[in-house]
Parts: sequence; C-alpha cells; structure tokens
Amino acid sequence: MQKVVNISLNGIAYQLEEPGYNQLRDYLERAEARLKDSPDRTEVMNDLEQAIGEKCARVLSPHKTVVNEAEIAKIIEEMGPVESAEEKAEGAKTEGAAETSQEYVGPQPRKRLFNISEGAMWAGVCNGIAAYLNVDVTWVRLAFVLITIFSWGGMFFVYITMAFIVPTAKTAEDRAAAFGMPFNTEELIGRAKKNFEKFGSDYRWRREWRRQQRHWNRQWAHMNEQMRSFSAQAAPQMSTAARAITGIFLPIAAIIGAVLFVVWILALFSLVTQNNIFGWGLPHNMPMWAGILILTMLYFAISAPLKMVRHGGHQAAGSHPGWAALHGVMWVAFTALFFWIAYNVIPGVREFVDQILWAVGLTVSNISETVRLESWY
Amino acid sequence: MNITEKLAPIRKGLLEFVILKIVAGDKVYVADMLRLLGPTEFATQEGTLYPLLSKLRREELVDYEWQESEAGPPRKYYKLTQKGRTQLSTLNDYWKDLNRTLAEFGN
Repeated sequence: MQKVVNISLNGIAYQLEEPGYNQLRDYLERAEARLKDSPDRTEVMNDLEQAIGEKCARVLSPHKTVVNEAEIAKIIEEMGPVESAEEKAEGAKTEGAAETSQEYVGPQPRKRLFNISEGAMWAGVCNGIAAYLNVDVTWVRLAFVLITIFSWGGMFFVYITMAFIVPTAKTAEDRAAAFGMPFNTEELIGRAKKNFEKFGSDYRWRREWRRQQRHWNRQWAHMNEQMRSFSAQAAPQMSTAARAITGIFLPIAAIIGAVLFVVWILALFSLVTQNNIFGWGLPHNMPMWAGILILTMLYFAISAPLKMVRHGGHQAAGSHPGWAALHGVMWVAFTALFFWIAYNVIPGVREFVDQILWAVGLTVSNISETVRLESWY
Repeated sequence: MNITEKLAPIRKGLLEFVILKIVAGDKVYVADMLRLLGPTEFATQEGTLYPLLSKLRREELVDYEWQESEAGPPRKYYKLTQKGRTQLSTLNDYWKDLNRTLAEFGN
C-alpha cells in the first residue's frame, strides 16, 4: 500500500505516490533555485508544471488514477535538468565551477552585492546595499548611523569590514551581476588583502581615515562624558532602596544579556546550517549574509538599551569597578550555562558545534596554506 | 578536454539559432519542437527549452498565443516576430559567411 499525495500542477489536480511526489518536489525546487535570477522564473515554472502535468495525464486513465514513483522518475528524466538561458552563453566551464562552489556554499548563488563608489559618501557600502535592496540610499545611511549609535560604534566596524570585503563595482555588468557572493576563505582573505594594500597606498584615504578616527574619538568621549554627568547627577539622589534594586538588576541584566547573546549565536548557527532562523526561512531573494547582518544589527539594537541601563547602574551603585567585574563574571557564567543547556537540549546544536570546530580547523589550515604559498613566491 | 566537451558549447550556442528556424515555420508547440529536434544533434529537453523560449520572448524575437487542446489546459504556440525574422536572416547570413570562411581554409 502506498500513501498518495494530491498536488496541483498549474491549476490541474493530480495524485502521486508519496516517493514520486518527493522526487517531483525536489526537481521543481532545484529548477526554481536554478532560475532564481531569471526574470522569466514564474513563467518558466508554470510552463514546466504544465508540461509535467501533461506527461502525468498521459499515463493516467479512468482505471488508473495515481501516478506511481517509476512514472514520475521517467517524467523527470524526460524533462531534463532545468538550466537558465542566461548562463548558457558562458559555456560549460562556468557551469562546472558553479556546481562545485554550490557544494561548499550550500544555498544557491544569489544577487551580488557590490560597493558602488559613484555618488558615494565614503566607500560606497551604503550605496551598494541600497542598490542591492532597491531602496533609497538615504534610508540605508540613516539606518547605518542609527545602528552605529545604538551599537556604541560597533556598526562602524561592520562598515569598515564591508568596505574591505565587499568587491567594488567597476563595470555596469558588475552592478547588474546576478550571482551569489563568493564565500570561500581564500577569496575573502585575498580581496581584503588587496583592498588593504590599495588603502595603504592611497594618501587621500589615509587622511580621510585619520579624520574619521579623530571624529569618532571625539564623539565617543563626548558620549561617555554625557553619560557620566547624567549618572553623577542621579546617583546622590538615589536612596538605599534604589541601590538595592540596582544590585538586583545587575544579575538580571547579566541573565538577559547572556540570553540575548546565546539566542543571537544560535540564530546565526541555525541560519548557517539550515538556512533558516529557528524554522523561519529567509525571504526568497535575501542572501544568507544579509540575514547574518540583520541578526547582528538586531542583537546590537536590542542589547544596546540594556547596556545603557546597566552602565547607569554601575555608576549609580557607586561606580565601583567591582560591579563591572561582577557583571562580567556573571555574564560569562550565564552564557556558558545557556550554551551548555542548548548543547544538550536542542538537537542539531551538538552537530553544529562539531561542524564549527571542523570548519575552524579547515579555515586555519586554509589560511596557513595561503600564507605558505605567498612566502614561496 | 575530450571532443564531446568541445562540441557541446558549439551545439549550445547554435540551439537558439535552430529554435528561431523552427519557430519561423508554422506555429509550434514545445512538444512538437522536441519531436523535431529529437533525432538531430540538437536533441534537447523541456528543462532547457522553456527557459530559452522565455528568454527569446523577453527579447521580443518570438511570441506565443494560447490554443485550446483536446486534452488538458490550453497550450502555448510559438511564432516568430518581425524582430525575430530580422535576427534570423542576420544569423543565416552570418552562418553562410562562417561556412565560406571555413571552406576557404580548406582541410
């Protein structure tokens, strides 16, 4: 006895044996992934479904209402692998390369992110993101500034990193390029190195960099100053009760901070391994790195107010360095505890940790390989 | 690189030309195209043909119309547009030139 699945192909219902259904679903998913960047995706998918439907209809009769597994396998073979008409022009070599890189990356290559220097304020990171997400660059810049403030400057380093790692669009094709961002270690390191060399040799950049650094230092000092004076005003007015509350709040802040941190890390894990965040898939055309970036921004944005309150707490409670140390120790302890629980309770985390260790080993050996090769020449 | 690998890109590049030639005749359905191509060097499958046809349509070289069929939903019948006809004649000329050049070089 076989379980039967009811499906609809371009508006017509068919009944398939379950293993056949699974095969067909995989085939169509592969086809859709292949056509992801094609403007004709919807149309081609409908055409394919209709063609499959007609092939199914051919094996059915009033006395045979279910398409079996072998028939589905034959139909899929007849249909042949779906290839986007766009990539055909590039020939067999590119196709082979795409195939192998897919094995490493997991998800299919997607729309490509570039830094766009035309009309850029700085390195063109925001410009590139705006073009990528198809929104006005002002919003992206605003978001960058807001997140930089909320993350106590953390986002600034994300910007710097992106300026080095994301390739700069040189031609119109670059900007239109509809491929995934390559993500192998060697290429990433190589690009960062090359950009850094260029960066070092460019005087204008260096001057700009120093100017920005000074500006940031000033702002940072100003922010700290404000925070201190605010706390100093508040502290003497605080009663013993308020101090006690602050004392209670510290461990809570440590717990919440640790939970946020663990959730963030686990979400990144789940995104990298299963290409979803605790079961929620990313929107169709959002690449994984954007998911990682958004998660990181969220983490910083959510934990920033907590940090701020905690910071105030330290000051109010007498500005004793012991408080900060205590909080640090508690944070580390809670983080370790939650990780341990996750490692033991949530399925998949254990495998992932093992996988991460393996990947770290691979990356290290990759880097040492690259370095070794460099020294050869 | 063996000989099959060298021939594959040539066939791939010419497939679009061949499709334009087929569509230039009577209005055709994809299954008819596959049947016509089946016994030739250009034997292909739906998985390749549908994306290619959609691309040609986007480039306004072919167009299709829906026609009722006795079995199942209406089908898309493809035909050549004016632009497609111009391109096909360019391709035909180019192909002749290529052949002449190849012949001139002899064996």
